[in-house]
Amino acid sequence: MKPFIINFILLAMIGLTSCTPSSDEVVVYCTVDQVFSEPILRDFEKETGIEVKAVFDTEETKSTGVMNRLIAEKDNAQCDLFWSGDPLRNVVLQSKGISTPYQSAQTDLIPGHFREKDYHWTGFSARARVLIYNKNQISSDSLPQSILDLTQPRFKGQFTIANPLFGTTTFHMAALSTVMGQAPAKQWMNDLKKNQVVIASSNGDVKKRVMNGDLAFGLTDTDDAFEAKKESSDVDYIFLDQQEGGMGTLIMPNALSMIKDSPNGENGKKLMDYLLSRETEAKLAISCAQMPLIKGTEVPDIVPSLDHIIPMKIDYSQSAEILEQIQAWLKKWVEE
Amino acid sequence: MGGRVNQQLARYVPALLLALLLLGPILALLVRWLSSSDDIPLLAFINAGTLLLVGKSLLLSCIVAVLASLMGTICGFLLYRLKFPFRGFYKILLLLPLLVPPYIFAVAWKDGFQWLFSNSTVINPELGMIIVHTLVLFPLAMLITGTALSQIHSGLEEAGLMRVSFRKMLVKIVLPLIRPALTISFLLILIISLSDFSVPAFFGVNNFTTEIFTQFSAFYNHQLAISQSFLLVILCLILLLSENRYLSDAPFFSVHVKGSSTKHYSVHKGKTILHILLWILLLVVLVLPLVMLLHQALSGREILFSRAWELLSPTIYQSAKLAFLGALLISAIGFWVAFMKERSHFPHLNTMLLLTFIIPSTVLGVAVIKFYNHPSTNFIYTSILILLITYVSRFGFIAARIIGNGIKQVPVSLDEVSRVIGIPPIKRFFSISIPLLLPAIFTAFVLSFVLCLGELGTTIMIYPPGTELMPVKIFTIGANAPLALTSSMTLISFGVTMIFILLFFLMGKLIFKRFRYE
Repeated sequence: MKPFIINFILLAMIGLTSCTPSSDEVVVYCTVDQVFSEPILRDFEKETGIEVKAVFDTEETKSTGVMNRLIAEKDNAQCDLFWSGDPLRNVVLQSKGISTPYQSAQTDLIPGHFREKDYHWTGFSARARVLIYNKNQISSDSLPQSILDLTQPRFKGQFTIANPLFGTTTFHMAALSTVMGQAPAKQWMNDLKKNQVVIASSNGDVKKRVMNGDLAFGLTDTDDAFEAKKESSDVDYIFLDQQEGGMGTLIMPNALSMIKDSPNGENGKKLMDYLLSRETEAKLAISCAQMPLIKGTEVPDIVPSLDHIIPMKIDYSQSAEILEQIQAWLKKWVEE
Repeated sequence: MGGRVNQQLARYVPALLLALLLLGPILALLVRWLSSSDDIPLLAFINAGTLLLVGKSLLLSCIVAVLASLMGTICGFLLYRLKFPFRGFYKILLLLPLLVPPYIFAVAWKDGFQWLFSNSTVINPELGMIIVHTLVLFPLAMLITGTALSQIHSGLEEAGLMRVSFRKMLVKIVLPLIRPALTISFLLILIISLSDFSVPAFFGVNNFTTEIFTQFSAFYNHQLAISQSFLLVILCLILLLSENRYLSDAPFFSVHVKGSSTKHYSVHKGKTILHILLWILLLVVLVLPLVMLLHQALSGREILFSRAWELLSPTIYQSAKLAFLGALLISAIGFWVAFMKERSHFPHLNTMLLLTFIIPSTVLGVAVIKFYNHPSTNFIYTSILILLITYVSRFGFIAARIIGNGIKQVPVSLDEVSRVIGIPPIKRFFSISIPLLLPAIFTAFVLSFVLCLGELGTTIMIYPPGTELMPVKIFTIGANAPLALTSSMTLISFGVTMIFILLFFLMGKLIFKRFRYE
């Protein structure tokens, strides 16, 4: 008798939990911080009436949820649009045949090197890699001016970088290998180890250790630096390698990719057009100080303009390829 | 004849359905792994480096298991066998660390180290992991050994005390009697510590689980990560099989020990010292981490509790609804599985739940996605059914053991007598079995509710788009938000969990009173 009761309960629960999918919806997987991305998605909902169903993750949690989900869902895509905090993950999706090209009309406004040549991904609002420092631990005139200065003995044991196997630090190391060449970049990283660099678990951890005064300075992203400045008056940041002829600082745009054979492709395109607009860039500049890629976008005074920063000149897809080559070495570097 | 066929159908069809739903994803993943078209040999990933990492992980988790079992056994004896005021209060508070995700404690403790030593890096990462895992997992040992201690008949101890000292009686009688419980505590804690990645990853410990995680999330090498995961599962299975007889009967805890006569020792001298020791323990395992979180929440430039509430409040209803449905399903299935094991001598479903219980959460997530993400099963994959199935996989074993323990204490003769006098099966079920088992079912429900409410490892990989859940939101928002906001959100989540526990506690009091069995 009892099994019948269990069957009844099971059936009742199936009835209770199943939901009817709506056709006027779009599914977006997003690795950009939810506090900043969600309001923009809600605005899109209000303006278009299309329901946005989002899955959030974050680089700080290594984007494990979203990326592994996208890879595992390859044969039966559930996601329409992937919104990443940097183009590296979009390149991975492209290489695995998960993304599909889409040329938005908005793309014309965005400089050519911030998108993939076949439009597998398109960039917008960018962050940059910066050096965050604690003013109580080190004076601004003693700070390194180039990333290469981190190997100087006077900074021994005083600084931190996040684990280079994950997040934007991976991207940074790949970009350095692209600009400097793999052998010199590896030598530089080995010298960092000799100079007793502290490997933090994430950029957030870098921010925290510098804010707490555990360490004098560290490498992180502009959004973390802005948050740190909001939280503590002891913290400030600088852009490295800004001297004339310097290698420049790494600029990391958000990147959007349409997913192949997605269930709501047309709505996905509408959302992509919306996100690539000047208005979205202005909103992201206000909420998290991201730098617009579209010239002439209004931004608050505290947001640096890309016009005033010397960028690192890299090909993003090439950096992703180089990353694949150096990743095993990076793992060894971390573990040694 | 027809009735017998119907009986067999009623037994095997739901069993097969449950096996398909829960075991299907894991078997499919195993087949996929074994039949991989890669040219690399299947076991090529096993090399000196891998074995070294496995050894290191085992060593660290063994230390955690020994320390937590020792702490848990001492607490179990103090709280379950001594008679002194407020022991129920201590029991409940010392169980709370089990209900908070270990990651949260890791964050709080790291800041605790910073506060104590002015530098969080002074604590070695391995030591940090051992401390946090021990403090979070020792309540499990306390529950298991405490329950075992409660089931020792007083006559055995009294007989021993007539001839030997109290200490000798403990060593010669009590400890051998609770040996299965000690073994189970050790093994369960070893396995949970071995398969948790969040705490080692947070402290930067390089062990086997962080290696699996790295292969998943940095290299997106599912094949290797799954191979490594199966090695971990095989390792856990070997450990479990060695004590399978005890483990499949794991008591966890009895809600009401019926008909037993346990000896409780009065504490005359040393009551103050006992209270001081328990307060120190409470301070270390619960108060200090909570104070650290509160300190962080209030130390920002602005108080962010209202912002944290604004962010979390939309998730509370959805999370509670899902946890409620999950707990209902887990309790129902747990009851059925326990009944099949204890009364129908059909233990296979219990073994199946044990297997799904030890699968690492990320592997379970990938297995579930691969199995259910097909057009024909979209109705499961795109609804909360996918989460409910996962919850049963993860926590069904615990519920089945709690209820199974309750069933063991109900004399079979009651059912037999009622059958002989002709009470129909439905009436027997609702008038005899359910009232007698209600406390155990209710406890399984509450524990499942709390576990479902905080589950993160698999949920973050499979929650349907557009669903807002409390642990996921804390994890994703907390990653880059100000520390004060993250801590505020964690405290709110802890508070919400406590409110639900309190509500269930009050409901439980009513139910237990109504169905008290003396």
